[in-house]
Amino acid sequence: MTSGNSSGEAAAAASAKIVLSGVSKAFERRNSGTPTMALQHLDMSVPEGHFVSILGPSGCGKTTVLRLVDGLVPPDSGSVVVAGQAPRPGPEMGFVFQAFRLIPWATVQANVEFALTATGLNKHERAERAARYIALVGLQRFAQSYPGELSGGMKQRVALARAFASEPSILLMDEPFASIDAQTRELMQVELMKLWAQHRATVLFVTHSVDEAIMLADRVVLMSPRPGRVIEEIEVDLPHPRWQYDIRATPRFVELRSYLWAAIKDLVLNDPSSDFYAPTSGNAGTPAD
Amino acid sequence: MIALYRFLFLIFLIVLWWVISLNVRANFIPSPWATLLAAQKLLADGKLIVALGDSLITFAGGYALGILVAIPVGLVMGVFLPVGKTLEIYVYALAAMPRVAFIPLIIVFLGLGFPAKIFIVFLGAVMPVLINTYAGVLAVDQELIEMARSVRAGRMQIFARIVLPSAVPFIIVGLRLGATIALINTVVAELYTAVRGLGGLLAIYGNTFRMAEYFVIVIVLAIIGVIVSEGLRHLEKRLVRWKTSD
Repeated sequence: MTSGNSSGEAAAAASAKIVLSGVSKAFERRNSGTPTMALQHLDMSVPEGHFVSILGPSGCGKTTVLRLVDGLVPPDSGSVVVAGQAPRPGPEMGFVFQAFRLIPWATVQANVEFALTATGLNKHERAERAARYIALVGLQRFAQSYPGELSGGMKQRVALARAFASEPSILLMDEPFASIDAQTRELMQVELMKLWAQHRATVLFVTHSVDEAIMLADRVVLMSPRPGRVIEEIEVDLPHPRWQYDIRATPRFVELRSYLWAAIKDLVLNDPSSDFYAPTSGNAGTPAD
Repeated sequence: MIALYRFLFLIFLIVLWWVISLNVRANFIPSPWATLLAAQKLLADGKLIVALGDSLITFAGGYALGILVAIPVGLVMGVFLPVGKTLEIYVYALAAMPRVAFIPLIIVFLGLGFPAKIFIVFLGAVMPVLINTYAGVLAVDQELIEMARSVRAGRMQIFARIVLPSAVPFIIVGLRLGATIALINTVVAELYTAVRGLGGLLAIYGNTFRMAEYFVIVIVLAIIGVIVSEGLRHLEKRLVRWKTSD
């Protein structure tokens, strides 16, 4: 299921919106001082207008990929190219963070407007644009509320509205539905699919949910834990729009799901730093004495 | 309901005071009634008003000066971390030492008048406001700053929209602590420099055992304390109305 020969990859990279090649990134551990490898020689490319899920066990540097693509952190080595240039944070890229990151002392309206700061829109246009996207996620009645007054699902919708409001050509989403309840999550996934159908951005969607990864994406990128590398890329050849049928009931979904589950289980069991470490290959665990 | 309970407790305190005054010999504790009469007399001859005016000028002058210095310095220390890390140890040292120790030095340089008094109040008020402002800036949510960077907000905007508002609750705590110390230092200054204001009256009446008048001054000081801290509480409510709790 991996992509084909190297010349084909090069051609794909040329037309790709996001290209990471040979990217490594380490972080200083706050307590120990020794750097932790988050990513090592990561290669990934995302064609324009594609929805790509990044799937992997926790601690495999998925979030780091998004921060690199947004230009919030530079790579230690290798290169990150977004739309033919070095990435620079801004309204051309929308970022949906895992923990919402709404400004607590700003109203919903002000939170969404804040994301339009660097768009070049004037004050009136910003207010109008924000109001439109707040209405799009169904929160017009809460435009003047503070985030503290909203439920988790509503906060996430504000975060979605904020990311979509600048009408970015790239959307970076970091486990956006991880912290909301299961039913709300299902509804939000449909909402996201509908939003994406209207504004076809290039999407990088980080998740640790196999179902979510398949359901939303054109392609699933499977990453290994510590240090993160791309293990495999799998095309999800299920027709859009996917909210119009029960995608989980299709044989192809079931097949992809069990394949990815097996792959992830394998990764977790063979990761020495995981709680479930139980190596299946001979040389991974040498017995003491 | 709470207001009623508070009022009832006040009545209880006054009754307690009255009972104690009846049982302490030689008028060391004046009765509430005697205190009220003394207050009337002090108000009528204008002594209380003049003293109150003097004290309020000292208090407000020193406190305002403290705020005007402390908030900008605290913000600069927090925003430019090398500055903050360099200065913080000295700030903490100065905050921990009893600044009353400087009074003789202050008298040498500023004399016994208002400048000296205001400076003593300033020294008390400046530290808690400064330290809390600094702590408030340091406590800013780094994830919010990264969010702001991701939408390409400028440095000034990040400061105005993220850093400053997040420091406001800390600054208000500093202002409340600062107000308390400023009031204490107002009385201290009036006792140790030229004897004036409420602190001056406190010294005069205390030394001459005119306990009813002395109690009037004590109560006036308590009322000033209540008014200032309640005022700051209202300011806090207005400024941090986004907080759902409380």
